[in-house]
Amino acid sequence: MELLPDRLHWSLAGPLLGLLVVGFFLFTNQPLGATGAYVETSKVVRRVSGAVVWRVWYFVGIALGGFIAVSLKKTGFDTRTGYEMLTTTGEGNFGLSVPVAALVIFIGAVVMGYGARMSGGCTSGHGICGTAQRSPASWAAMITFMAAAVATTFVINQLA
Amino acid sequence: MKHSTKFNLVGLLFGAGFGFVLAAAKLHEYATIHAMLSLEEIDVFLLMGLAIGVSLPLLAILERAKVKTALAGTLSLSRSKVQKHHVVGGAIFGIGWAVSGTCPAPALVMLASGAGLAAVTIAGLFIGLGLRDIQTSSSSSGGPTQGDGEHRVTVGAGN
Repeated sequence: MELLPDRLHWSLAGPLLGLLVVGFFLFTNQPLGATGAYVETSKVVRRVSGAVVWRVWYFVGIALGGFIAVSLKKTGFDTRTGYEMLTTTGEGNFGLSVPVAALVIFIGAVVMGYGARMSGGCTSGHGICGTAQRSPASWAAMITFMAAAVATTFVINQLA
Repeated sequence: MKHSTKFNLVGLLFGAGFGFVLAAAKLHEYATIHAMLSLEEIDVFLLMGLAIGVSLPLLAILERAKVKTALAGTLSLSRSKVQKHHVVGGAIFGIGWAVSGTCPAPALVMLASGAGLAAVTIAGLFIGLGLRDIQTSSSSSGGPTQGDGEHRVTVGAGN
């Protein structure tokens, strides 16, 4: 099926995300950061008491909604590594073997998870929900992670 | 319907909406995030800016109007002061984000779109979060804190 374009324009996707944030507050009086969904899902998997179970439904929902959207695109569900820029050769690509790419990605993700938990949020939590509440902590976190990510990407691109 | 069931349903539906928009805007692709962080295109910065630009004033108006939320009392927003861990954690997060080319929510969409290596990213995220939890639970700092964009304890919010 091809009901969605390859890439929904930012001028439409941005306000839609904003309205989801506001809508979520209007129902639950809660922000919808994704880091917290990982934290609660981890508690449920490890059978730790006091987990907020509906955050796990939110976690599952993100994957479900993503699956529905890609199914409505021309490409559809597409089995691949997802890191072709790392695993193939060519202009601007890195040409790593899949195991090496997996190791790099894994280390990156561990660092990201650690930082998100320390900072108290990620791109969706601090970056959209916290900033939208006019939280000084979230604005500081967002500016910092944007700057750190741009600087790190600059270094990565020197290695390509 | 039970109060907790309503929360689960709202969580699932808004999660699905969020995941849908992320996938529709292609934010689950490594190439999109890499081009953004390489400053080759500004689309994702504009997208985030507009998301904040729409939600910030709406939330401010709703807060001032003391609007009642459907499931959890009067709307209340959180505004924490900046502390060292917000900034240091943010810098660490940013480094990992650049390397893995995705962040927590888009990583789930990535896997759901058929990208196998996203499973490695998601596993790494869980381990990284867990390492920080182990570190804080063994120190005297009193455990991890949630930022203003994450789950907080509020009246009737299915805590």
